Amino acid sequence: MIEPYNKLVKLAARAFYDDLTSKGDNQPKTGRSDNRGIAVVVLDALTRRQWVREEDLAKDLKLHTKQLRRTLRFFEEEKIITRDHRRETAKGAKIYSAAVAATADGQQTAKEGEEKVKLHTHSYCCLDYAQIYDVIRYRLHRMKHKLKDELENKNTLQEYICPNCAKRYNALDALRLVSFEDEDFHCESCNGRLEVESDKIASQEGGDGDDNARRRRREKLKDMLQKMEVQLKPLMDQLSRVKDLPVPEFGSLQAWEARASAAVRAANGDINAGDSKISQLGYNGVPMPYSGDTKVVVDFNNAEGKGEGVKSETDGTGLKVLPPWMITSGMNLTKEQRGEVKQEAKMDGTSTSTAAQYTDDKKSTIGLEDNKNIQDEYIKAYYAALLKQQQELEEAAKTQLSNTPPADDPSSSTSNRQVGMKSKREEDDDGTEWEEAPFTGNGNEGYKVDLNVEAEEVPADQEEDDDVDWEEG
Amino acid sequence: MFFHIVLERNMQLHPRYFGRNLRENLVSKLMKDVEGTCSGRHGFVVAVTGIENIGKGLIRDGTGFVTFPVKYQCVVFRPFKGEILEAVVTMVNKMGFFAEAGPVQIFVSNHLIPDDMEFQSGDMPNYTTSDGSVKIQKDSEVRLKIIGTRVDATEIFCIGTIKDDFLGVINDPATV
Ligand SMILES: [Zn+2]
Repeated sequence: MIEPYNKLVKLAARAFYDDLTSKGDNQPKTGRSDNRGIAVVVLDALTRRQWVREEDLAKDLKLHTKQLRRTLRFFEEEKIITRDHRRETAKGAKIYSAAVAATADGQQTAKEGEEKVKLHTHSYCCLDYAQIYDVIRYRLHRMKHKLKDELENKNTLQEYICPNCAKRYNALDALRLVSFEDEDFHCESCNGRLEVESDKIASQEGGDGDDNARRRRREKLKDMLQKMEVQLKPLMDQLSRVKDLPVPEFGSLQAWEARASAAVRAANGDINAGDSKISQLGYNGVPMPYSGDTKVVVDFNNAEGKGEGVKSETDGTGLKVLPPWMITSGMNLTKEQRGEVKQEAKMDGTSTSTAAQYTDDKKSTIGLEDNKNIQDEYIKAYYAALLKQQQELEEAAKTQLSNTPPADDPSSSTSNRQVGMKSKREEDDDGTEWEEAPFTGNGNEGYKVDLNVEAEEVPADQEEDDDVDWEEG
Repeated sequence: MFFHIVLERNMQLHPRYFGRNLRENLVSKLMKDVEGTCSGRHGFVVAVTGIENIGKGLIRDGTGFVTFPVKYQCVVFRPFKGEILEAVVTMVNKMGFFAEAGPVQIFVSNHLIPDDMEFQSGDMPNYTTSDGSVKIQKDSEVRLKIIGTRVDATEIFCIGTIKDDFLGVINDPATV
């Protein structure tokens, strides 16, 4: 799939960049330093590579890196290649090496030697096939267009140049260039008399004006156009050949590296040590902490506790604890709905007295009689839900990790519930309840009185409630 | 090309115009302000043809001026590349000639004048065919084709050609 594109690159290289010299401006043009054809060599070499470190390319081509870089910079400007520069340590460079090894089907064992932590800027380059296709087409279009325009001597923008300061203008500037002293155009900066610019291909051998010259010019243009059609035919054919082919894409340097090393890992089957170490390295050479193989451990005791927590919440949604202000006397409610069950079950200390008081308070204000049947029913439903929850949890755990030891019998775990995590969980629940209930409670007045009495004894979180109450009151 | 479009403009009006004739004042000021102006986007505003809507005025702090957002219909003239126009020659020199089509100025450079027309200098510079049958000088009317436009924020300038079929002098004042 890449071959037709490579052929296109090679043809274009020979057509357009054959006589390119990458000489420095200050160097004398001697025969020895004549390096025409380098561009073609470089482009050809690039068609045999993907992303390549420029130093390596220079070494392969036996070119000086500076010279190569000059050529590459030119191609970058021509939009033929993409380049990437990054600062990296010798280690970081290995990521690339590994990727190269991957694409070259070679096995490179990255040796972990003593590397300097010094950062070097490395440049990489790669052919940009998609853009090359467009660039070549555009170039051909412009060539043809220019010749045709001149041939017809039509739609061309006349250019003018100032002989003094070499400033250039075109016909669109005409309005600003006219002076009323004479009939010439004058330079805006130095008021010099502008001359018609004649850098057009055909008028190079002078003689504009007389018919002979004009005819010769047309002949020459026609000739050039024809030559162009003939000589660039292979290139145009190749263009039309690749037109419907998918463009080879290597992506950015990093993406390409990632893909290449992934490919090598897939080929190797297991993760070989050197490779994985390389991938653990950041690009700036700072080793990332080795996290090891990811292991999934399911702790069932924990999970149980969690499950219960979840369960009680879902239960809560099933049978909501009604806020005290919604409870009116004569309502047929479970204890849980009134928030009583939990408080009775709660075992430990700090807020017990207040809790009890609160419950008493509510009881006294509401005066709801306990309904034993409903309570029993609730407990049944509670345990059923709990069982279901446990089973679901177990199912989930099983699908996650098939080789973990089977969970305890759900029924036993429900009985366990009473012992281990329960009191803690209940405490949590109580905490939240404590914050909410007094707030909305219709027993607000009575509660407040209680608080006043026991002001010294209340724990810190209740003092917050107190504060709020103060604000409200 | 001409277009009839709706444009919007924030008009600032001095308090002395407030009164019964506020609207008339606003409209006449609008016409004075916009007719003959040129924006690169819409072209030359040739004429205001109607008022769509005058929004609520907003008093400016400190000055007492009031800003009204005014929506108005107008005819604009926007030259395009490839468009054929008829224009009047305003100036002829050896570089070519300038012509006007309404508000638009067009320059035709000498290499876009047919090859058989030669420049003649003098107090009435002109381009003339060798047999003298066709002459382009000041006030000649020509039909030309726009081949390029230079569009700035407040200015449009065109270059044209008469080197094509059916282009050139359409009415020579000297022969009529
Ligand atoms: Zn100058």
